[in-house]
Amino acid sequence: MSVGLTAPGDIGEAVAEAIADMVQRATNGAPVSTYAQSDSPLTWQAIEDGGWDLIGTDEDAQLRDLAEVARAWGRACIQLPFIPSLLAKRHSGAAQAESGPVSFSVPSATLPESGLVPYGQLDLKVARGLGAGVDELAEGAGGGPEEFDILLRGARAPFISDFSPEAARETAVLFAAEAAGAAARLLDDGIAFVKERQQFGKPVGSFQAVKHHLANALIDAEMAETAVIWASLNPAEAYRGSLFAITRSIAVGELVLQAHGGIGFTWELGLHFLLRRMVAARDLVTGLESAYA
Amino acid sequence: MDSTTVLETVRDETFDEFVARAGDWLAQTVPDRWRRQRGSLTPAESDQIRRDWDIALYKGGFAGISLPAEYGGLGLGLAEEIAFSVLAGKAQAPDGFGRVAKVLVAPMLIADGTADQRARYLRPTIAGETVWCQGFSEPEAGSDLAGVKTRAVKVDGGWEISGRKTWTSFAQHADHCFLLAQTDPDAPRYRNLGMFLVSMNQPGVTVHDIKQISGAVHFAEVHFDRAFVPDADLVGEPGQGWKIAMNVLQHERGGSETAARYVEIRADIDLLLSSCADRPELQNEIRELDIRTELLRWQLSKVVDLEAAGGEAFERAVSILKVLWSELWQDVTRLGVSAMVPKDRDHWRYQYFESRAVSIYSGTNEIQRNIVAERVLGLPR
Repeated sequence: MSVGLTAPGDIGEAVAEAIADMVQRATNGAPVSTYAQSDSPLTWQAIEDGGWDLIGTDEDAQLRDLAEVARAWGRACIQLPFIPSLLAKRHSGAAQAESGPVSFSVPSATLPESGLVPYGQLDLKVARGLGAGVDELAEGAGGGPEEFDILLRGARAPFISDFSPEAARETAVLFAAEAAGAAARLLDDGIAFVKERQQFGKPVGSFQAVKHHLANALIDAEMAETAVIWASLNPAEAYRGSLFAITRSIAVGELVLQAHGGIGFTWELGLHFLLRRMVAARDLVTGLESAYA
Repeated sequence: MDSTTVLETVRDETFDEFVARAGDWLAQTVPDRWRRQRGSLTPAESDQIRRDWDIALYKGGFAGISLPAEYGGLGLGLAEEIAFSVLAGKAQAPDGFGRVAKVLVAPMLIADGTADQRARYLRPTIAGETVWCQGFSEPEAGSDLAGVKTRAVKVDGGWEISGRKTWTSFAQHADHCFLLAQTDPDAPRYRNLGMFLVSMNQPGVTVHDIKQISGAVHFAEVHFDRAFVPDADLVGEPGQGWKIAMNVLQHERGGSETAARYVEIRADIDLLLSSCADRPELQNEIRELDIRTELLRWQLSKVVDLEAAGGEAFERAVSILKVLWSELWQDVTRLGVSAMVPKDRDHWRYQYFESRAVSIYSGTNEIQRNIVAERVLGLPR
């Protein structure tokens, strides 16, 4: 037991706060469903102006710090390749030299024949090597679009980027951190909903069965966050911790969806956008683990 | 160490120095007989070691770690409390009889006691000289604690307590009981109770052991038949008992309890990892429990790191500790007993039955979840 072990450093805390502010200004806390299928509420320029995509190149930026940033970003589920760019620029000189967004091609557990490029549909540069292989950029993903994770705007690629073991681990942890952030968002949305929604003449959140779902969702959300912290500080546990965090984030999604009742499973309400995100993250982290652990 | 020396030492040392000093002290002080031959001790020998341990903690400068220094504690925080608890668990230190005293009674007296009550009780309570039990639950008032029926009747110079308390830890060893009783049966619910400091050493008090399903006796039923409490031992005013009780329970964060449990659960998981290494069908489940055990420790670290800032993140993180450790331990013992490892047969059978209690006592996990939902997440009652 030590003191100060779990907290992010100054840079992580400051950037996470700045990201949260930026996202809040751009979305005004609007539901993800209001922008998930249209244009991003934030421009890439805003990220570039803040220099946020280069934050991983700062020598003070530890993985714990980046996880804090990814968690803050994950709350909003904005469809921009911020986290892939941050990782690509941290581990590839060619990506760093590129001023726009950069992604990479990740091995996916369910697409054995091709790689998956997060945000590949946005037609951006794709780093071929992150701390390993050839340090150059490809023009676009080169494969067809992947439709399952609507926010991820993924595209298939005929190649998989080379990752150093460290880059692969960090990618896994930041995907998990985004999922944990999305879980925290879902929990807060669920709490707000059950306080408002009335049945039998009172808020559904006053019924014990619903209360226990939300209490369990808090437990899962806390475990997801703690698992990300654990994974970010213990390289040997990066995959185990990341997958645990994603599984618990998915559990939050399931409970919150249940607490929403009939509109919970409508496309329109949009809880599924975040849940899809988490299911896709598990696929990619499992793919990374199989290839690089 | 005398108390001035203790406070001077504590004031000048860093967290790491505190941890090092605690580790050295535990290595020297934990009785060898307890560490090595606990199973062969008679109940009387075991009780004596546990009672002596509370006194040793005080003399060694490790009692009331997070209680304020002006009231006889060390004035440190949750971090030191938790660190000491982990070290004590690893050193196989005895579990004394002072838990109720230090976790509940001392904070209650500091918050709501009179100057006279603090002067009379705080030092011996922290020093392990006075053992306390908690007279809250009754046969008809478990989760519905406000429904206590035990009566306090005003008599000349004090009160007479009559009624039945149950699931009372440490009652067999206690010198005093802090107890909720009805001071006014006609007053509305929540305003009809008083909080009393009752001497257990008087003719009107009888203690009966409650044997649990594991075979162990950790609890008792206590009968009060016109037991006398002087006016000076009523805490607060008649009618304020519920408020005082809730105040006490809210201060009980469960950090050091969780830390002690972490050490036990870790030992159980380590046993599973070693004894079931050749059982591929169990590996997934053991791995999952292993992660949850590590995350319990990291959750505690997170709680410690969030404490200074307080606020919502801290409240959320700390509120789930009891549910976390209790359900984890039950899952571990369930797997342990179902794995049927011959050499560990007795261990797991005992642990399995012992662990059934932990999701029930100290507020059932259903009540814990209600508290999380209502007080932490703000859902309507």
